[in-house]
Amino acid sequence: MLFQFALRNVLAHGKRSVVTILLGTISTALLVFSSAWMDGSHQQMIKNAVEIYPGYIQITGAEFRQSPSFEHLLFDVDKIQAEVIDIAGVALFTPRFEAFVLFSVGDKTVGGMLTGINPEKERRVSRLCAALKDGEYLENNDNNQLYIGNELARRLQVKVGDELVFIGTGADYSFAADRLIVKGIFQTGLFEFDAGSAFLAKSYFDRIMASKNLATHGIVLPENLNRSAQLAGVIGRRIGPKYQVADWQQTMAGLVKSMQLDSCFGYITLAIIFIVIFFVVMIYTLLAVFARLKEIGIMRAIGTTPRQVFAILLWESSILGFISVWVGGLIGAAFAWYFCIHPLVFSGMEEQFKQYGLAASAIPSAFEPLTIGRDMAVMFLLLLLSTLYPIIKVNRYQPIEALHHV
Amino acid sequence: MTPVMTEFLQIRQISKLYQPDKEVEVPALDNINLSIEKGEFVVISGPSGSGKTTLLNIIGGLDLPTEGQIILDGKLLTGLAERELAGIRRDHIGFVFQAYNLLPVLTARENIEYVMKLQGRSREKCRARSLMVAEKLGIASLLDKLPHQLSGGQQQRVAVARAVAPTPKLVLADEPTANLDSKSAAALIDMMEKLNREEGVTIIFSSHDPLVIAKARRSVVLKDGKLVTDICE
Repeated sequence: MLFQFALRNVLAHGKRSVVTILLGTISTALLVFSSAWMDGSHQQMIKNAVEIYPGYIQITGAEFRQSPSFEHLLFDVDKIQAEVIDIAGVALFTPRFEAFVLFSVGDKTVGGMLTGINPEKERRVSRLCAALKDGEYLENNDNNQLYIGNELARRLQVKVGDELVFIGTGADYSFAADRLIVKGIFQTGLFEFDAGSAFLAKSYFDRIMASKNLATHGIVLPENLNRSAQLAGVIGRRIGPKYQVADWQQTMAGLVKSMQLDSCFGYITLAIIFIVIFFVVMIYTLLAVFARLKEIGIMRAIGTTPRQVFAILLWESSILGFISVWVGGLIGAAFAWYFCIHPLVFSGMEEQFKQYGLAASAIPSAFEPLTIGRDMAVMFLLLLLSTLYPIIKVNRYQPIEALHHV
Repeated sequence: MTPVMTEFLQIRQISKLYQPDKEVEVPALDNINLSIEKGEFVVISGPSGSGKTTLLNIIGGLDLPTEGQIILDGKLLTGLAERELAGIRRDHIGFVFQAYNLLPVLTARENIEYVMKLQGRSREKCRARSLMVAEKLGIASLLDKLPHQLSGGQQQRVAVARAVAPTPKLVLADEPTANLDSKSAAALIDMMEKLNREEGVTIIFSSHDPLVIAKARRSVVLKDGKLVTDICE
C-alpha cells in the first residue's frame, strides 16, 4: 500500500519526478563513463607497459634483480621450460637473453641492449611483431638479421637492408662481435625502449654470445591474465628458491605506484562530483518535499505514523533512484561500450601521453559489466542517502505545523 | 435496567498559551472542562479566535495543550509520543477539515480507503465499506474522480466519508461547512447527523453558522478561549 501510494506520488508529481530522474540519470551516466574511462586508461597503461615487452610473469635467477650479472642467469633453460609449461594455467614460456652492447655504423656508435629472442613465441607474449614499422619481423632460423627500434635506427642512420656491427661481452665473458643486417624496424611508442633496443633470433644469438641453454630471464604467458599474481606464486613454489618469479605488479612497481596515484586523483575527482551530486539532489529533494509539507501534514493528521511517512518518501526516492541509475547506467554503459570499440583519439598528444606510459594517442574506455553495476549501486545508495536528510527533517514537523505550512 | 452512561471523552482543565515571542503570551484556551458521551452530536461554536479549532486540534492529538488532560475512552492522550498519537488518530478518530484536505494524488475512493488500508484491512473490505459510506453520502458515482475534479461540496462529502469509513469512535470536524453554500452546508450536516445516528459515531464539529449550529443536539459555546455555554437538547 505504501509503495503504491509512493508510486502514485511519483506519477502525479510529473515535473518534479522528471527533474529528479534527470539529475540522477546525468550523474549516473557521468559516473559510469568516467569510471570506465579511468579504468580504460589504466588498462591501456598496463597493456602498453606489460605487453609491449616486459610480459606478465618473469622468471630470473634468485639474485639477478639485485645484481644483474652473468653469475645469476637462468642456467638450465630447457629444464625450467619443461617444468613451467607443465603447470596448469601457463600458456607459454619463452627465454630471453639481454646483453648491453655497442652498435656502430661508420663513425657513429650508440650503446643499447641486444636481446636474443624466440621470434615465434614472442608473437604471443609481446607486441614486438605488431610494432613493425618497416621491413620484416624476425623468424626463428634467421641468422644475423636484426630487428631494431626506430629511434635507435635513426641515431645510427640505418634503414632496412643496411649493415651495422656490434661489440659486447658473451655469456662466458668472451669478446663477442658480429656484422648484422637490419631486417626490420619497429616502433612501440615507448621512446626509451625504441631508442635502445634491438633483437636477434636466439638460435643465432646463442652462437655468437655463447648463451645456449642460458637466459637472463624467461617470460611466462598466463592463460588468464588477471590471475598473473596467483600463477607467479604457483610457479615460484614449483621451480624452487634458486629462481625468482615475479608478476608484472612486482617487476613494474613504479607503474603500479603511478597508477595508484592516478587512481587516487581520479577518486578525489569522483568524490568531488559525488559531493556536488549529493548536495544538488539533497537541496532539490528538500525543496520538493517542503512543497508537499501540507500534504504530509494531512497524511500525519489522519493517522499515518512518522515511520510510514518516512517509508513512503523513501519508496519515492527509491523508485526515482532506480529509474535514474538504470537509465543513466545504460547511457553511461553505451558510451563506455562505444569508446571501448572506438577508442578516443587525441591527435598531437603523443608526447604528453608518453609521460604517462601511454604509447598511443588513442585511449579506449573499459567496458566491464561488474564495474558498471558497482557504479550504479553506488549512485543508487548516494541518491537514497541524499534524500534522507530532507525526509527526516520533514518528519520532525508536528502534524499541525505541517498542515498550516503554506 | 438503566444503561450506565460513561464519559467517553473527558477534557480536563485544558489551557493553551501561544507564545509568538518570549515576552508575549496569547491565551487560546483557558481552563476548559467538558465531558462528552458516546454517540453525542456536539457543535462547538463561538466567534473567530474563540479557540474552536485549537480545542478540536488538542482533542485530536494534533496539538499539545499547555496544561490539562484529554482522556479518550479511558486512555490518557496527553503526553503520548507522536507515533502512539498517530495510531490513535488512525484507529479511533476521524478528521474533517475546513479546507477538505483530501490527498490530491488519490481518487475519491482511494482517499476514503486510505486510513482503512493503514489499519490493515483487506482490499475487499475497504472496497465494500467505502462503497457503503459513499452511497450514504450520495457520492458513489464520484468515487473514481480526483479531488480537483470535484466541487467543494463533493470534496467535503468525500472528506466526511474518509473520516467515517474506518469506523472511528470520534469524528472531529473543524468548520466543515465554512467553504460551502448554505444549501450544501445544511445537506452536509444532515448527512453527518444521519451517520451519527446510524453508525453511532460521536461527532464534534465547530461552526459559527447559526443554521448549522441549530442542527446539533448539544451546543458548546466558546468565547475568548473560555467555555461560556454548554446546552443539551
